[in-house]
This record gives sequence, structure tokens and C-alpha cells, in this order.
Amino acid sequence: MASSLTSPKLTTTISSSPALQTLFFRKNLPLSFSNPFLSLPKTLTSVPNRYRRSLSHHHYSRGFVAAASADSDNGADLSRQYDFDLFTIGAGSGGVRASRFASNFGASVAICELPFSTISSETTGGVGGTCVLRGCVPKKLMVYASKYSHEFEESNGFGWKYDNEPTHDWSTLMANKNAELQRLTGIYKNILKNSGVTLIEGRGKVGQCKKIVDPHTVDVDGRRYSARHILISVGGRPFIPEIPGSQYVIDSDAALDLPSKPTKIAIVGGGYIALEFAGIFNGLKSDVHVFIRQKKVLRGFDEEIRDFVSEQMSVRGIEFHTEESPQAILKSADGSLSLKTSKGTVEGFSHIMFATGRRPNTRNLGLEEVGVKLNKNGAIEVDEYSRTSVPSIWAVGDVTDRLNLTPVALMEGGALAKTLFQNEPTKPVYRAVPSAVFCQPPIGQVGLTEEQAIQEYGDIDVFTANFRPLKATLSGLPDRVFMKLILSAKTQKVVGLHMCGEDSPEIVQGFAVAVKAGLTKADFDATVGVHPTASEEFVTMRTPTRKIRKDPSSEGKTDSETKAAAGV
Amino acid sequence: MSRKMLNDGEVNQTNEDDAHYDFDLFVIGAGSGGVRASRFSANFGAKVGICELPFHPISSEVVGGVGGTCVIRGCVPKKILVYGASFGGEIEDARNYGWEVNEKVDFNWKKLLQKKTDEIVRLNGIYKRLLANAGVKLFEGEGKIVGPNEVEVIQLDGTKLSYSAKHILIATGSRAHRISIPGQELAITSDEALSLEEFPKHAVVLGGGYIAVEFASIWRGLGATVDLCFRKELPLRGFDDEMRAVVARNLEGRGVNLHPRTNLTKLEKTEDGKIKATTDHGEDLIADVVLFATGRVPNTKRLNLEAAGVELDEAGAVKVDEYSRTNIPSIWAVGDVTNRMNLTPVALMEGTFFANTVFNGKPSKPDYRDVPYAVFSIPPLSVVGLSEEQAIEQAHGDILVFTSTFNPMKNTVSGSRDSSVCSRPIR
Repeated sequence: MASSLTSPKLTTTISSSPALQTLFFRKNLPLSFSNPFLSLPKTLTSVPNRYRRSLSHHHYSRGFVAAASADSDNGADLSRQYDFDLFTIGAGSGGVRASRFASNFGASVAICELPFSTISSETTGGVGGTCVLRGCVPKKLMVYASKYSHEFEESNGFGWKYDNEPTHDWSTLMANKNAELQRLTGIYKNILKNSGVTLIEGRGKVGQCKKIVDPHTVDVDGRRYSARHILISVGGRPFIPEIPGSQYVIDSDAALDLPSKPTKIAIVGGGYIALEFAGIFNGLKSDVHVFIRQKKVLRGFDEEIRDFVSEQMSVRGIEFHTEESPQAILKSADGSLSLKTSKGTVEGFSHIMFATGRRPNTRNLGLEEVGVKLNKNGAIEVDEYSRTSVPSIWAVGDVTDRLNLTPVALMEGGALAKTLFQNEPTKPVYRAVPSAVFCQPPIGQVGLTEEQAIQEYGDIDVFTANFRPLKATLSGLPDRVFMKLILSAKTQKVVGLHMCGEDSPEIVQGFAVAVKAGLTKADFDATVGVHPTASEEFVTMRTPTRKIRKDPSSEGKTDSETKAAAGV
Repeated sequence: MSRKMLNDGEVNQTNEDDAHYDFDLFVIGAGSGGVRASRFSANFGAKVGICELPFHPISSEVVGGVGGTCVIRGCVPKKILVYGASFGGEIEDARNYGWEVNEKVDFNWKKLLQKKTDEIVRLNGIYKRLLANAGVKLFEGEGKIVGPNEVEVIQLDGTKLSYSAKHILIATGSRAHRISIPGQELAITSDEALSLEEFPKHAVVLGGGYIAVEFASIWRGLGATVDLCFRKELPLRGFDDEMRAVVARNLEGRGVNLHPRTNLTKLEKTEDGKIKATTDHGEDLIADVVLFATGRVPNTKRLNLEAAGVELDEAGAVKVDEYSRTNIPSIWAVGDVTNRMNLTPVALMEGTFFANTVFNGKPSKPDYRDVPYAVFSIPPLSVVGLSEEQAIEQAHGDILVFTSTFNPMKNTVSGSRDSSVCSRPIR
């Protein structure tokens, strides 16, 4: 017996058929009218949308289910009856957003999700998804916890002194973090309930828990549900390459829930996850070593930011091993781990973590059988409206591997709900999406990197500021801040904005509005600063650090204009 | 430039193009507005002189310092103290994130003050270099206006220097205002508050503006008992009412004792060297320090403005038009002395636009629309645009208000009770 089931909303399911709809709204409709839902309690027969919430306490019986699964039509048969207008697989950021909004637009929606666990697998997950349970949220809490050591150090310069150096108790942090996750997953379940979305928790079982049977039918633990539309939003999971000893390796899921703090940890990977964890463990006083295949961390980010952040992280004690590929992990007699790389072996690690990418969770969903196309990474291929190769099947979020960020999954889910249930086909827009890396010091960015800007615009003007913030002049610590504006030389529009330093993520959110709106350097300069802050630097950059001119012949014409615009 | 005596002939010179002036621009006051105007004017080719009182953290009629209020006894030292005070709350919160910190963490006030002083001295030096690098001639002394094109600088040793200038810019800023109640000499202003020798274990703050709120937060953050007395129902009059309530709630949450609709009627010294402050409700508050954060007034008294006929408003501020020009064509004024929007970045804007207008041939008016600013209470408040009340008043139609009140993620684990509120009135 499935748990916390709510009954489907009859009126919306049949809403496509005007004749039936009229009949159901008549007061004296007999229960025995050719009604496949005969076994349902009386209260459900004449139920307008506003009564949807009261349905949440009723369970429906097996008989109903059997009747509903009879249909296996592949087409968009409007007169056909489905259990739900939308069935969503995966209750993470994208799935919950799409489901909630669809329900608010009048659709009958069900969503299924694996039972909760801090570690994800084929059989475990949890309402809220990666972001809430094994990503953004716990990550941020850990970052907060780990920042305090730096703050204690800073405070010395401001007159604070500690008799004993503060020490950190890992188990307190884990307990408080887990309590917060439980609270949040409960909130997400309530959000779904309050929106009238039916939540189906698939019971953990080895093998498939949920599977798409045909373009309109989903199987959850043997139960089948039909839906006019199916949304796949199962997200992604950490990927660890198979090398000798990889069974000793932990991924980010495990790293967020360790029984004890690592004393010495090797983090393999150069992306944002690797850097964020490096900062977390370093802040909590572990000995941290980061191994990357490339020359620099954060491939794809602005070059100057890549240089700046690794320098600042090194200064805080993190050791980087560049151009080293992992080859094997060895466990010694005393339990410590060694990492063998292309350049040698480093010993004595209590933990080895691989942050070597994430892959979409598309296995065992029945996708191939039903005809949903995947790309070579296993991500579901979708068009601009998030529709897959099968007309009634859609996908949003990390499983489509577009821009793997929670707010983007929210955007994709919201757009889909509008497209399907508001009669407003809406394409998510990926231009000028801001993002952050919560390493220490953190990074905030929106728009293009300098390299991308040169590709797209040819001629660009670059303004940078690299300074010691006020706090550091007193703390005496070597903290610095780096800020950068990239303009299209021709239009003077700010096409890229980057910052690395304390509060960058908060600061960049505000400026992202300006970049998205296509504002120019003059607009920035006309904006008065807030003083004293670091962010005011963005509106007081007077002299370009450099001007890139692809075509030398454009130099003469634009030179005086750019000089004037730069306000020199 | 050698010392010059006043020459009647030159004062009466009417043909500006033929007149030989000692300076194209003479600026009185080397604070945010004055330094900005001087540097930019010099960059546009003007010959610029500037005068400023000798440096001292606590200002008076005869001491000030290059950098002005912002650098020496405003924005910068204030922010430093806010940083210092913020650690208190952070250390508390750290415990819930697993950090084991001593029950009582020690705080060395003198160390913080010394660091603050080192920093403002450093900045004072930087500002002097900025002026020198721009080719601006700096004079130390008290500046006065003698005529539409004549200034006088009284140096420390009493000698007077006289200079003629095609344009004169008044940028003397403002000073803390003390209310005159019996015992007022026992109270301090923000100048002294930023340089207190001893940390006040108990402070009484009189005032409801941003300075009062900031100091209440600073001292409370460092562990003092703080009583904040203000005349209205809520502090920060003029700000959005909803935000004022949030600030008040947060102050209370952090342990500041709020006394709304309260004024002080007198101050008396007690036997053990403390101060007894009596409120208009008849309550007595015993404090180590009483801070009057009761407004700031423009520094125009000793400028001898009457000599040139420069008009002031009722508050004593220099009256200027949209180009920052006074009623005397050759005399201009920027910054707090004009009492428009008393913020450093606005003074910078006014100084920049002045330089563009007068020396770059591009008359430009500073734009006061949508100037953002912050109150560095703990936690801070930041604002841009209209308050809800202003929006309702000024709107041509209806307004929509969006608000978001939440417990920020950090506090869900730390247990701190601050609330975060964002408010967006839309026309």
C-alpha cells in the first residue's frame, strides 16, 4: 500500500471533454453513471478545483488503478482519460517547481520520489532533491561552519582574543545540519501537499523503482499511473571513474555526512564542488590537498578569476597538485590512504574524495524502450521547450544537463508548467544567468568570461580592481578582492561581471539584474556607490585595465570614443 | 606660491579673461567633496589650491584633517568599529555550528582603537598624496572668504596667507550638533565616540538617526549595556516604516534597550564618576557614556561668508543651485555644507560634476534620483529609491508592494533571531 496518496482530481482530468465536464457539474449526478471511479467515496464525484485540498486524506483502491491503466495510446488523444494531467518523476528543484505551478494552473499532478537518504543511489533520494539534501543547502551550511575559523583569525586584529584557540566538534555540526535537512524535506512535502500535488514515495528496492512503461504510463513499485504528460526530473549523481582502489573513495554525498572529520584529505577534481569542499575542510582545520588534471582550477571560468582564487586558496593553506591524474588508491595497514597519480604517490590521507563530475540519473527508467533520446553523457535530449523526442514526455533540471543550477531548474520547471497548462509556450532563457562558487573566498559571476567576450564581440574593454578590503587592513590577513567588468567596446554594454572575495555571491546577484537588462558602463557609472563597501568598486571603475581590439583597423575609429566613454 | 598681500586692484578686476588669479580654484575643506573637486579640476588643467585644518580625530573649529569626516571621523572608523563589533555575534553563532569557544571571549578595546587610528592616519597620508599627485597645492590652516575672488588662510602660527581665485569652492562639511540641556558638557558626540579611551560598559545614546543606531549596535556588539532613546515611535525617521520596525526589532533582539518617545532632560555627574541621565518620563539611566547623536550642522559659522554675501538657509547650510553654485557667481559649494544628501559618494558626485561644469566646459547637474545608501546597524539596512510612504505620495497611480521576510539560512542553525526583510514598492 503506497503511502500518503491523494486521489486524482476528477474534474481536471476530464476537463478536456466538454460534454463530460458539464455533466459532472450537475448537482444530481448519480454515482453509478458510467464512472470508472466507482469505488471512490461519495465526496469525490462532484469536486470543483477548490476542493482539491480535501482529497489529500483519501486513499484510492486497487480497483481504480486497474481501470485507469487500460489505456496505452501513444497519441495526444484529448478525449482520453488519464489518472493525471502531469506525472513527474523526481521531486527535486525542477520537478517540484513544475508540479506545484502546474497544479496551481489547474492541472492534476502526481510526483514520485525515492525515500530520503543523505546518500543518493538507485533506490534512495528524497523530496527536495540534490539541492536541498545533498547539494546547495548542506553545502552552504558547511561553508558557514568552516568560515568561522577565518573569522576567529580576523577578529584578532580587531581586538578579540581567545584564551584557547577555538576547536571544532564535527558531530555537533552534522547533527544540526541533518536536523535542518529533515526540516526542509518536511517543508517541501508540505509545499507539494498544499499545492494539491499527489506525492508518491517509491519504496526502495534493488532494481527499478520507477519506470516509464509507455509514453503515458509510469510504473512505481508495480503500480501504474497514466498521465497526459510525463516529466522526468531525476537529476544527476556524482561520477567516480573506476580505477584501482576506487571503493575507498568518497563522493560529495558522503562528504556531506561523514561520521568524523578528515584529518588529511585528498580532493580529486578542479570544478566548483572540489573547490567548495577544499574550502570547507580547510576551514575546519583538515589538511587539504587538491589534485587537478588541468593546469588551473575551474575550467570554463574567467582566466583571471581562476588565477586569483587558487592564489587566495593557497594562501589559506590548501595545497594544489596541478596536472596530476589519479591512477590508483591504496589502503595501508594503518588504514590511511595513498593516492597514486601520474606524478607520484602522496600518502597519509584519512579520506580521498573524488569530485570528478556528475552524470544524469537516466539508467533504469525505461527511456530507451519508450523512445526518449539521450546524448552521449546520458543526458535527456530536449528542445527549447524542454520536450524530449517523445511528444508526451518532458524533462527539466540536471537530467537534461543544460545549466546545472537550482534556479535554472526552477526556471525550466516554471516555463514548462506555463507551456503545458497556461497555454503560454515559454522557453527558458539562459542568457546572463548568474552563479556562484562558495569556495573561500567565494566567486560570483554573471555573463561572459573575457575569453568568451572576445569570441563573441571581438573588441572589448576590460576594467579590473584588485585590492585589499578594509577588513583586511585591520586583520592583517592577506585577503584580497578581485572585481572585473567586461564591456563590448562598440556598445559599451556590460557583457560580463566577475568577482572573487567576501560577499561576492550576494553582490553579484544585484548586478546580475543590470547585466541582464543590458545596461552600459555609463549606467553603472551614473549609479552612486554605497560607502564604505567593496561593491561600490563596480560603479567607480574609471580607467580600463586593457582594451582588446581584434581588428587593428578598428583602432583608429573607436579609440577616441572608447576613451571618452571610459571617462578618463 | 609665495605669500601675497591683499591688493585692491586685483579684487576689483572685472574682465575675467585678463585677470591674473593666484589660483583658478581655491577649495576650503579637504574632505570627500573638496578633494574630489580639486583633483578632477586639476586634471582638467586648473591651477588648484586647497586648505584644511590640521589633523585630529576629534574635530573642532580649529582641527580637522585631510580626508575629512568620512575618512577621519565618519564612514571609515565607523565601519571598522562595526566590523569589530560584529565578531561578537558571529562568535556566538559559531557555537551552534560546532565550534567550541570559551564562555567569555576577551575583547581589547584599546587594541581596536589603536588599529583604527593607524588606519585613519594611513588614509590621511594617502589623501595628501592624492592631492600632491594631482598637482593640487595644499595649505594647512583655517580658510575664510574675503571677497568673491579672495580667500584667506590663517596658519597654525597665526600668520595669514591671502590668495585670489577665479573660483572658490566651499567644502567644509558639517559637525555634530549637541543639544543644550543642563549637563550637556558631560555628553560626547560621534567624534569622541570613535576615539574613546575606555570602553563604556553602559552607554546611553540619544538620537534616532543612523548615527545613533550604528553606535548602539557597535557598543552592544562589544558587550555593553545600551539604552537608545529617541523622540519618535521608531528610530530612523524618514526611512520606510516597515524597515524601521525591522531595524527596531533586530536591535531589541540583540539586546539594545529601546526607549521610544523619550528625550533626555538633564545630565548629572554621579559620585563614582558616572553620568546620570534623566529622561522626560522621569527615569534615571546611569551610564559611563552618554552620546548625543542629535544631528549634524553645516560648518559655515567661521567662514566669513557675509563678506562675500553668500546666502545660507535657515539651517546654516550654503544655498546652491543645481550646479552647486551659490548666489555669488564665483563661489560654489559641495558636500555636507550644502546639506543636500549627506553621503560621501554624493559629495564625490557633486565634486565631480562641479569640476566638469567649471573646468571641463560640460555643465552637468548631479542626479539625486535613486541614490543607494546603507545604515550599518548590526544587521545592516540598505535602501535605494522611495519608501512605501513616499511612493504612495508621489505615485500617479497605484503601487504594488512585494515583501519577503525570512530567517536566513545561516540563522536556522545558529539560532540567531535576526530577521531579514526585503521590500519593493513598485509604481
